[in-house]
Amino acid sequence: MTDKHGDQASPQTLATHADTSNVKKVPPPETPEAIQTRFRVIAAFWAVIIFLGFPIWWKTTSIYRAHLPIQEMVDWADSKACRPVFPLEIHLATPGLQSTEAQHLLRTTQHTLDDLNEFAAHHLRLKLADDHTGEEDVTEDKADTALTVRLLPQEDIAVPRSEIHTDTAQLDVFYPPSQVPAPSSSNPPLSAFIAEELQRLYSEEKATIAHILSGNTAGLDSTSPQVAESISRRLRRSMKYAETYHLSFSLFTPGAEPSSWDIEAAVHEYLSPLLEAFAPISNFTVDTQVQLYATFSPTAPLPEYDETEAAWNLKKEDLSAFINAAEWPLNPSIGNGPTINFILYVPSPSQSPLIVKENRASSWIIPQWGGVFLLNPDLSPKSKSNPAHLSQESLRPAFMTFSHQLLTLLGTPSTPASLPLRLHTLIRMRAAALLLSASSTMGSLARLTESLPSIPIPATVAASVSTTLSHLAATCSNLRDGRFSAALASARIAEAEAERSFFEKSMVGQVYFPDEHKVAVYLPLLGPIGVPLVVGLVKELKRIVASRKARRQAA
Amino acid sequence: MSVDRRKIAVFSAAFVLRLVLICLFPSLPDLLTGRVEVSTPVNSFKRLQEGLFLYTRNVSPYDGGVFHQAPLLLPLFALLPEAQFHPLPTAIFYIFVDLVNAQALATISESGQSVKSRLHSAIRKHIRWDGVSVAAWFLFNPFTIATCLARSTSVFTASGILFAVSNAVSGNTVNSMLALGFASYLSLYPALLFVPLVLLCFDQRAQGQSQVPNVALFVIQHGAMLVGSVSALLGLSYLITGNFWEFMSATYGFHLLVPDLTPNSGLWWYFFIEMFDSFREFFLGVFWLHLASYVGGLTTRLRRQPLFVITSLLGVFAIFKPYPSISDASLFLALLPLYRHLFPLMRYTFFAISAILYSSLLGPAFYHLWIYAGSGNANFFYAITLVWSLGLSILLADAVFAAIRDEWEQEHPESQGQEVKQV
Repeated sequence: MTDKHGDQASPQTLATHADTSNVKKVPPPETPEAIQTRFRVIAAFWAVIIFLGFPIWWKTTSIYRAHLPIQEMVDWADSKACRPVFPLEIHLATPGLQSTEAQHLLRTTQHTLDDLNEFAAHHLRLKLADDHTGEEDVTEDKADTALTVRLLPQEDIAVPRSEIHTDTAQLDVFYPPSQVPAPSSSNPPLSAFIAEELQRLYSEEKATIAHILSGNTAGLDSTSPQVAESISRRLRRSMKYAETYHLSFSLFTPGAEPSSWDIEAAVHEYLSPLLEAFAPISNFTVDTQVQLYATFSPTAPLPEYDETEAAWNLKKEDLSAFINAAEWPLNPSIGNGPTINFILYVPSPSQSPLIVKENRASSWIIPQWGGVFLLNPDLSPKSKSNPAHLSQESLRPAFMTFSHQLLTLLGTPSTPASLPLRLHTLIRMRAAALLLSASSTMGSLARLTESLPSIPIPATVAASVSTTLSHLAATCSNLRDGRFSAALASARIAEAEAERSFFEKSMVGQVYFPDEHKVAVYLPLLGPIGVPLVVGLVKELKRIVASRKARRQAA
Repeated sequence: MSVDRRKIAVFSAAFVLRLVLICLFPSLPDLLTGRVEVSTPVNSFKRLQEGLFLYTRNVSPYDGGVFHQAPLLLPLFALLPEAQFHPLPTAIFYIFVDLVNAQALATISESGQSVKSRLHSAIRKHIRWDGVSVAAWFLFNPFTIATCLARSTSVFTASGILFAVSNAVSGNTVNSMLALGFASYLSLYPALLFVPLVLLCFDQRAQGQSQVPNVALFVIQHGAMLVGSVSALLGLSYLITGNFWEFMSATYGFHLLVPDLTPNSGLWWYFFIEMFDSFREFFLGVFWLHLASYVGGLTTRLRRQPLFVITSLLGVFAIFKPYPSISDASLFLALLPLYRHLFPLMRYTFFAISAILYSSLLGPAFYHLWIYAGSGNANFFYAITLVWSLGLSILLADAVFAAIRDEWEQEHPESQGQEVKQV
């Protein structure tokens, strides 16, 4: 191929040589005017390139990289910047004791508690609640009171006993007056009892937080495998934390009735107080729907009639096929934030009552998705049909169950019995989890920007990062001071900002744009346009240099 | 008087031809209005009607992002009866614009500026067409007829440019700048014609006087006139729309940033569909600079023939502007016959004309294959637009070559008629 080409080329060059040498067909010399015109033309094109082209090139292709505090971000991710601690402040109310006795009891109980505690990050601090003047100035610096322990003397008992209030954060300890510790005793039984009670109350929380902080691998040494299993199971079942959850309540029935329900009143009556209690942790939106003629999916196993129970039974292993995901309009997500679905299923009169076979339950939870409740209303005696309307009162059991399911789905621990205590625990858990998650997002962002020097970093990302870092620091100091609600509030902001900075759209655009592609982008441009321009420039420069030389030689 | 009779005959024939086409094929205007080769987002009559609808109902015409044309067109068209129900008045208005454009062309041709200007005198002066022939060439060009029937607003830009040139060759430099201001106000790109046009005006002025006026002062004066006329029009537009930045970004921002990539006969749309997003701004700059960079080079090289610079720049615009249509090509083809004396020097006319005919026949067919039949893809239509641009480029390059050859022969009378070789 090359040979052939060479063969073809050589006669041509010979011919042109012959042409120029023999016939002397030299073009007439260019006039100086023509030379100057050519110079001007080349200058005109280059002026456009230099004065307009290069600034545009510079402006449009330079990558703006805002400065990020990389080291600080990495420190947060490696948890060097903050060691989360959870000092719980517990007030000890001792109405029946002398001040010195109370002091002594406090000291010995605290001592016992410290001996019992094996997880340094989470510890209980006792404090006497006697000075009532202190309670009035509610300042920002005051730590949240996690629990109030009230010591009440009771005559007719031999050993101390405790009773937890289910609706307030208060533990009542009843003790026989004889057991008031003498100032001399170093380890009075009452102190031991209180310490053990407190330890028991907070054991699950402690294990959970240890589980979260240790990266979901190993918890505390002392945690029994059963507890560890139940914690990880609960964390698996619960939804991922979100700023806003959408609660979707759906009434499904295979027939035409019931076609209406007192849902607004029921939500207001049974659910709103719970959602208000959750306000520091997450926001909620509620929507509802009624779906008539909602049939099971054709592949789902049908319930069977059990003569002995006089009820229709669903097998436990068939519950996963109960939801007809293809036909029931259950939105996976509305807006941003996950949806928690609650399904109230009213079976048709011919299949009523419908229960779960194994445990005769009428409700179950679907992990990270929602809950189902089978409502078997009283059939009207004449027509054997479902009531057309479900009153607020008939929805009560369903909503009690839904509330319970909601608590579980949001990751609320199962102990202790008091709801405020469980919510406090949840606040601490969420604060810890968000702190870790935002920190690790910071670390990922730092690694991403380090490893991809070509991605742009907009100023908004830098602003988000600095907001995140300041709120992380605020979270950490709030935790240290025991202000857990404030810590969670900061952690929520930190998490939101961290996510926003990490998922900034204009950053990810160039992630998959290697430098080799730039050659492909520029080459078609530089080839056809650049070559004539550069060659013209070089020729012109050569001419100028030559004419200079000639002039110098002449001179 | 006999010349006038010829002119009247040509003009009335053009008028009647258009009217007959509209009356015989009432659906033809709407068909052409929908064709991408004729209507682009910046000159489509359909979009103008949308803007007009909003305007007459006191809504901002730029709401909805459909209308991208200059706001002064709106009160003008609001005067005409609605084209949807009474198409004839609008059509007759457009026909008159065409005739007026032809008259401007005839004026340019009769001035003889194309063959003999202050610094240049062509050798083959005797080979030329008179004004009526040039006007006829414009009026009976199918591209012009299609543009007229499609009621594309490009015709107003064309009249602005033609009037600027015809006033320049007749020595009315102020009117010329006002007309260029009008064209620039409508379509932005005619502002690039300022440099050759002001040189044309300057030559015309210098020719009449024994004393050559100061070039810099002359250019600054006329530049100020252009800026003044454009700002006056912008001020009027502000009075109409009430929201200055909205209409600026909807019209000139749209011209500059090319957000609508509807297929057209140009080269931009396909390129920007395929472009990596991060390089979009850069290549917008490159494409615009490419378009603008010809002004300096051509004006310098062909300094002695500013009218020819304008002609060839119009050819460049017809090929490389962001939303070209056949109306731009028709404007270029309208000015080209002024250089009838260069035709003997052109070498590839057959090839260029074949390419243009080939693409104008196959273009609609390939577009149909792609959009309606679904048996082709975007490359079909893009390939045909490449051929179209190739045809125009060859014609343009050949014309420029012929002009340079003409200058060369003038300097070297001994080498007339010899073969030339580019070195």
